[in-house]
Amino acid sequence: MSDSRPALTKDSVTRRGFLKVTGAGVGGASLLTMLAARQAPAQIKGTTLRILQWSHFIPAYDTWYDAFAEDWGKKNGVKVRVDHIPHLEIPARMAAEFAAGAGHDIIYNGSSILTRLYYKNLVDLTDVADTAAKKYGGWIPSAKSLVEVEGRWYGLPIFYILAPMLYRKDLFDQNNLKAPDTWELARVAARTMKAKGHPTGIALAQCNDANLMWRSAFFSFGGTEADPSGDHPTLDSKELREFLKFAKAIFDEGMTPEVFSWDDASDNRYLASGIACWIHDAISAYRTTEDTNPDVFKNVVLGLEPQGQPGKRVSVAAPNVWMVWKFSKNQQAAKEWLAYLVDNDLEGMVQSRGYNMPYLNDRYKKPMPVIGSDPKLQILQDFPKIVAFYGYPGPSTTPIQEIVNTFVFPDMITRFCRGQSLEDAIKWGVGEYRRIYGKYKQA
Amino acid sequence: MASPRTRRQKEVRRHLFLYGALTPYVVLAIFPIYWMAITALKQDPDLYRMDQFPLWFHLAPTGKNFTYLFSHTHYGAWIVNTLVIAIWVAVITLLTAGPAGYALARLRIPGSENLGISVFMTYLVPAIILFLPLSRVVALLGLQDSWWALVLVYPTITIPFCTWLLMGFFKTVPMEMEEAARVDGCGYLGALIRVVLPVSIPGILTAVIFAFTLSMQDFLYGLAFVAPGDQKPVTVGVPTELIRGDVYYWGSLMAAALMVGLPVAILYNFFLDRFIQGITGGVGK
Amino acid sequence: MTLSTSSGGPDAASARAAAVSITVRTRPRRWFRSQAARRLGFGYLLLAPAVLYVLLLVGVPFLFSIYLAMSDATVGDTNASFIGLENFRAAFESDVFYIALRNSVLFTVVAAIFKGLLGTTLAFLLLRPFWGRKVIRGLVVIPFTLPISISVLGWKWMYDSQFSVINWFLSQIGIIGRYGSADWPIWLGQPLLALSACIAVNVWRNFPFSAIVLLAGFTSVPTEILDAARVDGTSFVQRFRHVVVPMIAPILLIGLLFDTVFTLSDLGVVYLLTQGGPANATKTLPVLAYQVGIQAGALGRGAAIALFLFPLLLPLMILLLRNLKRREY
Repeated sequence: MSDSRPALTKDSVTRRGFLKVTGAGVGGASLLTMLAARQAPAQIKGTTLRILQWSHFIPAYDTWYDAFAEDWGKKNGVKVRVDHIPHLEIPARMAAEFAAGAGHDIIYNGSSILTRLYYKNLVDLTDVADTAAKKYGGWIPSAKSLVEVEGRWYGLPIFYILAPMLYRKDLFDQNNLKAPDTWELARVAARTMKAKGHPTGIALAQCNDANLMWRSAFFSFGGTEADPSGDHPTLDSKELREFLKFAKAIFDEGMTPEVFSWDDASDNRYLASGIACWIHDAISAYRTTEDTNPDVFKNVVLGLEPQGQPGKRVSVAAPNVWMVWKFSKNQQAAKEWLAYLVDNDLEGMVQSRGYNMPYLNDRYKKPMPVIGSDPKLQILQDFPKIVAFYGYPGPSTTPIQEIVNTFVFPDMITRFCRGQSLEDAIKWGVGEYRRIYGKYKQA
Repeated sequence: MASPRTRRQKEVRRHLFLYGALTPYVVLAIFPIYWMAITALKQDPDLYRMDQFPLWFHLAPTGKNFTYLFSHTHYGAWIVNTLVIAIWVAVITLLTAGPAGYALARLRIPGSENLGISVFMTYLVPAIILFLPLSRVVALLGLQDSWWALVLVYPTITIPFCTWLLMGFFKTVPMEMEEAARVDGCGYLGALIRVVLPVSIPGILTAVIFAFTLSMQDFLYGLAFVAPGDQKPVTVGVPTELIRGDVYYWGSLMAAALMVGLPVAILYNFFLDRFIQGITGGVGK
Repeated sequence: MTLSTSSGGPDAASARAAAVSITVRTRPRRWFRSQAARRLGFGYLLLAPAVLYVLLLVGVPFLFSIYLAMSDATVGDTNASFIGLENFRAAFESDVFYIALRNSVLFTVVAAIFKGLLGTTLAFLLLRPFWGRKVIRGLVVIPFTLPISISVLGWKWMYDSQFSVINWFLSQIGIIGRYGSADWPIWLGQPLLALSACIAVNVWRNFPFSAIVLLAGFTSVPTEILDAARVDGTSFVQRFRHVVVPMIAPILLIGLLFDTVFTLSDLGVVYLLTQGGPANATKTLPVLAYQVGIQAGALGRGAAIALFLFPLLLPLMILLLRNLKRREY
């Protein structure tokens, strides 16, 4: 369905740009939203829209989102209800809704993107995506790998979450260490400072962080999970061996065995408690430290994804995608709302204190909200060029999702770090990949 | 006959021995609760410290975590939901498992022995698969996203066990009482109501307590069937809304746990004697 | 018409009932008004709600889950084809499955041993009245009364790799070193410790229940029998083995059975503590089934894993319960 609204958009963009540059804060934001509000077609008046999404790490974002949705609903005569559950539980809820043939209209996926599993039962959102692309300079390259099936988009990516390096400049300076611009420098730093009571840590447990962070390092070392088509696993390689040897080295020299018990929050606490010399984590850790340990916080600095091979940086991000069920009785309102959300994705970025990163090229014009104005966060603006998602360089296919959900990749590293031989650990990991890919080929 | 003084001495020694021996058990059982309480009452900077005595406060205790529960989450609604759900489930369980237990115990139904055994089989069916077809049933009945869905589903967990429990109970009611009532012209139903029920109160209370316990043990069904925050029971609300991604709100989590746990524990304590009596009678002797 | 299905009840009543039914049998035309018909009719009526409830909401979904286990269903696809025992075969090929199976069995057995030990000793201590018994009993029961999801979170905080109060205590009394030293246990991070930690939570939660059940059993042994045995000059151990144990065997076995089934099918404890890690050290069958079937969406395979223990436990259960019924006297 084509966009039948008048060309408000050009003016809105200019005004939005103006407000952004003048640094209007919350006040400007509400003006912004009013300006960007479009009058949706009459046929959605009087309907109900139910949205399911996660409990955002930044609670203020949820508060804003709920109010924002309600406002839009009021302006368009739609009753909007937003429910929040933790992102880890969303797959179960999706399965239940699908089995029931009823539930929410819009459903969200975070990290575990199940669009390909459910695409036959999701509404084709290619039109909304194309409109956004036209308006905002196109989608970043990795966006379509998340939701595209047979040329059509069955989900709308709204934002992703970056995981930069967060390091203690004071500790680095005290020890004459160079900023961790390469993984080797990071390892040296960890080794030096572990001896002084400031080790580092990257989770080697069955949690989200373990899946994300180690892959960043692996891909930066030149490794790949699958081929660009996504059909074949390409895990087994020389780069894998180099990476694993590095991982074990950095674990032995710079980390403690407690990383085997970490959950997604542990590295946040590690940094906030003042112990970690650096961590590789989303900026939720930065915000946690800001809130609970101001002394440490003033010394925390962000860094770009370290290089593995010279010049190669790949940062694995946690994607977030919105989808609309085919059984939804209000697909029109759902699409309207999603289009509106995309128009205001920068607002979401502000409300999440810089956490949510947009997928549209134009958004990256500097300075970006929040991260553009905070000198420490400015480096984040350089990430989009190096962002990748699970399955790199291929798309996030269903076998990759299963591999992610059963934590094969971090488990392989754990085995090696715990003493299994390199070849045995690789044999297990590669074997699991092959086995899981094989299952989906049969289907 | 030992003299009164040595008897008293023996008693005192026995008590001391018992207290000493029981201390580890009490500590084991209670310490986590105490720890939860301390965590709930501490301020955050006081909590995340490793270099000081953790078992007491260093900054003033705060009620902030408790008030957070009521101001920022639907905790009040969760508690009410949990209670109401538990009561309804207990009622449904009694109305279905009670008669069934009686029928199996007293009415000499052919195959009652096998039916009694098959009760256990229902617990082997994995919930992680069950919840999918059940969600279709829930949706068909229009109960999706309301706590009524849980009222519908929880009896599947409580009915088999309570049927078996009550079956054992009713077997201990002396036959003569029933026969006498029937001879007096009550008929089967009359005998049941007028004679058997009053005697089986301990058994019924036991079944009620179990229904309560089992309905508070669930996590998956609540998660799958109830998404809106104010419809959740507390067992689902706490893990889903007080853990946000990689941030655990430990203070509030513990406060939430405490406020649910203590009243339930007190209630249990009150019924414990009947409970024990119940189990004793409940297993066929 | 058999009378043996009823237990308890003196012979006189049975004889009377037999007499009544014999009388009735000579008047077949009014059978439906007979005592037997009324009794059975009433019985079926009473049974109906429970049976219907369970059949519809458990039985039918159970058949559905068997169908799933033998199909290639995924969460998003209603068109699934029958593939026989392929899912089970595939499960056997994955070594994570064997790890999960081993963990499940180990977990249940070790937990049962500890629950038995703690429960029995506690029951003994609480057997005879003493001043404050009610209070202590009330305190000791608390772990069982707390909802699982909540108490597990409390333990997760107690096991934290940095702030664990258990470690603080152990380090204070010198058993382990300070934070950061090699012997600071990472409860949820070292494979053996993690499994022990999960088992410990299960034991903590359920040992009060074992104690109460055993207590009930002990108190149900008629004192006359115990006294008679004492008079006969038997020792405590002999009395225990030959008198008490046979009498409480039914209760023990039922309790054990329930506990086994609930522990083997429990998802909550491991899921909330470790999600199955580190490196599958705590992965049990339900957790694996959930991750494969629901979170990754391969429903057929998940169902196969979840149902795996069913054919093993079922005959065991039937055997046990048949044995039990025969013991009743």
